Amino acid sequence: MRRPESISGGAWSQAWQGICRNRPSDAMGASSHLYLAANIDLDRAVNWLAELNAHRPAPDRLVMAALFLKAVTHGLRDVPELNGAMIDGEGHPSSTVHLGVAVARWDGAPIVAVLPDAGRRGVDDVMRMLRDLVRRARTDRLRETDLPEPTFTVTHLGYLGVQAVFPSIVPPLVGAVGFGKVVEQPSAVQGAVVCSPVVTVTLAAADSVGSHRGARFLATIDRVLQRPEAL
Amino acid sequence: MNRQQVRDVILHLLQEIVPAAAVRDVPLDADLCDTLLLDSLDFLNFVVAVHDTLHVDVPQADYEELRTLGGSIDYLTRAHERRT
Repeated sequence: MRRPESISGGAWSQAWQGICRNRPSDAMGASSHLYLAANIDLDRAVNWLAELNAHRPAPDRLVMAALFLKAVTHGLRDVPELNGAMIDGEGHPSSTVHLGVAVARWDGAPIVAVLPDAGRRGVDDVMRMLRDLVRRARTDRLRETDLPEPTFTVTHLGYLGVQAVFPSIVPPLVGAVGFGKVVEQPSAVQGAVVCSPVVTVTLAAADSVGSHRGARFLATIDRVLQRPEAL
Repeated sequence: MNRQQVRDVILHLLQEIVPAAAVRDVPLDADLCDTLLLDSLDFLNFVVAVHDTLHVDVPQADYEELRTLGGSIDYLTRAHERRT
């Protein structure tokens, strides 16, 4: 993981807690969040994906978003406190990962479609479901079963040129993660400047999750994306 | 299949992916992803639709050739001719 940076942490959130105390959202237990961001090197993931897709017909190819989603399920397995709801100020982790994916509907309006039980699915299965969900969301053919309650949400706006996404947490959920645009960035490696593809991953979580767990979630995503073949 | 027919197929497939977009107004040299706000999944769905409809499997290394409407028409007309 390169250049991990805490955009705002517990102290920031605590400062706001006082300001937000009397707001209606506070009564719902959604008063304070922490945001953590990390830049993750995708050199290996990009090369692995290109090599894999070169040997597959179009319907069986993967896109980076599928790797991101699988990496998120690994992160949630390591930090289960992020996967679930916050009710009356108490976290209720779910044993299953129902991954909500923010997609644009046919008219451009955002909608959260859900990949049920994403933690137990392989990356090919996740890819198939994701492609199908996006296709049906765009053609207004989502079914009721595509919109169950998610346990965690993912936003990916890189295609709109957004470099970092600061996701909103959908109440009563505990967290959400955003992936920005994959960009080529220079960095120093053993005294030499090299360019590699990098994505900014941003976690929003209820303050009670804590910065340490949030950082562990991002570190797991990074670790998994450095070994994409294990997905 | 001539260029006009390939163009019509491409526009039809794009319209299915982004129903609200005015795909017939897209200039030949405009970037399809930027103009129609296609993300990587939409683009892959386009490539799969091309695969299923025109029976042309566009390798990922050639995606750049489909970047514009004009490029897509050129590439897919040639590829379809080679098939037949």
